[in-house]
Amino acid sequence: MLKWVAQLAFLAFLIAVVVIVGRVVASNLSNRGINFGWQWLSDPPGFSIREGIDTTPDSGARALLVGIVNMLRVTVAGIIFATIIGTVIGIARLSNNWIVNKIGTAYIETIRNIPLLVQIFFWQALMLSLKTFGEEDVGSYFTHSSVKGIALPGIFPSDGFWQWMVFVVIGLVAARYVFRWRSRLMEETGNESYALTSAIGTVLVFAALGWFLHPLFGWMSAIWGALEGLARGIPAPLYSWAIALAIVAGAAWWIRGFFEARKTPAGYGKFTDDDIFRVAFAALSGLVIAGFVIWLSSRVVQVPSGGSLEGDVTIAELIRLGAGNFWNFFENKFHGSAGSPFAFELPSIELRGAGFAQYGSESIVITVPFFAVFVGVTVYTAAFIAEVVRAGILAVPRGQTEAASAIGLKRSQYLRLIILPQAFRIILPPMGNQYLNLAKNTSLGTAVAYAEVVAVGFTLSNQTGQSLPIVLTWMVFYLTVSLSISAVVNYYNRKLALVER
Amino acid sequence: MAVSDKDIIVCEGVKKWFGDFQALKGVTTTVKEGEVVVIIGPSGSGKSTFIRCINRLEQHQEGVIVVDGVEMTNDVRNIEKIRSEVGMVFQQFNLFPHLTVLDNITLAPLWVRKRTKTDAQERGMQLLNRVGIPEQAEKYPGQLSGGQQQRVAIARALAMEPRIMLFDEPTSALDPEMIKEVLDAMKELARSGMTMIVVTHEMGFAREVADRVLFFDYGTIVEEGTPEHFFTNPQHDRTKLFLSQIL
Repeated sequence: MLKWVAQLAFLAFLIAVVVIVGRVVASNLSNRGINFGWQWLSDPPGFSIREGIDTTPDSGARALLVGIVNMLRVTVAGIIFATIIGTVIGIARLSNNWIVNKIGTAYIETIRNIPLLVQIFFWQALMLSLKTFGEEDVGSYFTHSSVKGIALPGIFPSDGFWQWMVFVVIGLVAARYVFRWRSRLMEETGNESYALTSAIGTVLVFAALGWFLHPLFGWMSAIWGALEGLARGIPAPLYSWAIALAIVAGAAWWIRGFFEARKTPAGYGKFTDDDIFRVAFAALSGLVIAGFVIWLSSRVVQVPSGGSLEGDVTIAELIRLGAGNFWNFFENKFHGSAGSPFAFELPSIELRGAGFAQYGSESIVITVPFFAVFVGVTVYTAAFIAEVVRAGILAVPRGQTEAASAIGLKRSQYLRLIILPQAFRIILPPMGNQYLNLAKNTSLGTAVAYAEVVAVGFTLSNQTGQSLPIVLTWMVFYLTVSLSISAVVNYYNRKLALVER
Repeated sequence: MAVSDKDIIVCEGVKKWFGDFQALKGVTTTVKEGEVVVIIGPSGSGKSTFIRCINRLEQHQEGVIVVDGVEMTNDVRNIEKIRSEVGMVFQQFNLFPHLTVLDNITLAPLWVRKRTKTDAQERGMQLLNRVGIPEQAEKYPGQLSGGQQQRVAIARALAMEPRIMLFDEPTSALDPEMIKEVLDAMKELARSGMTMIVVTHEMGFAREVADRVLFFDYGTIVEEGTPEHFFTNPQHDRTKLFLSQIL
């Protein structure tokens, strides 16, 4: 009982501290004439962004979204390439070949002993030393590099892309069955049945068929249209209730899982206060969040004119609009006379305005800031990943290699079957840390004017003076990204954990 | 079980250095098919190094080792051939912790011998029956006691149907009450006619099962003979001293 009182008192204390600090800050701000608020989210930002999904955003929120997408772009690309490069370098450092080994060592020792910011400036300087171009260079190229960036040929999804994707999805489902069938065949006969090759082949066959046959799926447009009508027809409050219900169901599901995990053949063991507190906390927070969703979705916001909704609109109505637009997107993509699934564009240099040469709008351009941040964080993180990989492989006991070779497995076989699966288990948590570092380090992009979330937010805060809410937004955003990465890593970590008892 | 006349392992002047330290100073011996040889000796005498040379976990630098007519050279094909005929059981079990007991056993038959899965699993279950723990097939090594793990390790080595089994102090890492179950499995194996070389400190096992005992010290065979000769009438002073300390 005392424990309970203590727990609740502590919780109340924490809430009180947050509330008091919040009020003090708010009163200080208002004394100094700074108006803490969120109006900047819907106000036009008054600046354009150099690159991203929308270079002339119409609201602060939209501008931040462009920054978020730019940040995620560089993060995802960075994680993929840093993992590949890091793994190769890490294995190189274990090589018996003197040159390979020393190259790996030199890479790691150079890269990780120079601050990342300096490296990002280096990559920027490298790009800025390239040539410029002008009116006389107008034309089409296969690739083109200059101080404006590196332009590459691009493949874009075109008219028929989504109908073609239907074929690909069917192919993937079919491939799954083909893979199972071939694997079973191998188990029964012992002969190599090329399960993976057959599965990949199946997907390719469907993709090739789809290339010619995809207009067949034009009729699906009607289905998406019907779904759109349905989505727009449902009363808006129903959406908020559905979301609230899903949250409550999620909490209930967690609690059920919690009890399930405690179940033994002899019934439930004794629950500690801590257990009861967790269940109560889950139930309470589920209800509170669900209630908050219902409250929030009935709030009215101002929507700038021009869209299908105007003026004062509740958030629930905005959600309904989003659901309708989602199906509408597919409805528009499926029509009988679709052309080829992909379009291929070569980069071009064209004139915009008088004597102002620029890469064509259809060209895929790796801009200087993107290049500097992307190469910077990738090369830097790869050095740390290399050390993680090397440590992971070395941490697998030597006896495992000996036992595997003593039963006759070849080097390539025991690396794949014995060493790597065990090394991967050891590598995963520190690898997750490196991914987190990479995601957070992309904020250094501000230094080279890469339009990621910090740079955009910084400009917003200069324009509006609302630095505190913008900093809070940054923090919430980075927290969300980091916790998502952690969640994925933890999920795999639990899945791969060794069974010990 | 009768020991045949055929030599299955021939060692001639085997020498091995670790840096400046010479671990084997010319070991010459012959093991016949079906023979059970027990190697005893103080720690650091080179006995483990010697049996590890027999399946090339260590590389000898001088001398000749011939296993079942195949000479141990740097030729990878020879090494692979020998390893698939020589099973080995380690002091630390070295089971694969991420695979179930049955998968540990069927791994090599599947990947090296290219058996079918059903076939390999059937044979794996037979081996688990033979070492007395068929009910543990689906568990992971971490869930088993030391004695059970070592018996799985024996089954794993047997799954390759080796003609020779090497045991490197198989009971040294076990609790006393688990030693017997492992020794019983080894005795059963010896009675079935398997050629075995066992490095051990279990003198009872040596006395009961061995056809021949080798006493190692400072990288050489100091004395060899039948268990009876060895335990009742040792010739060499070093052997007498060793036996007086451990018996």
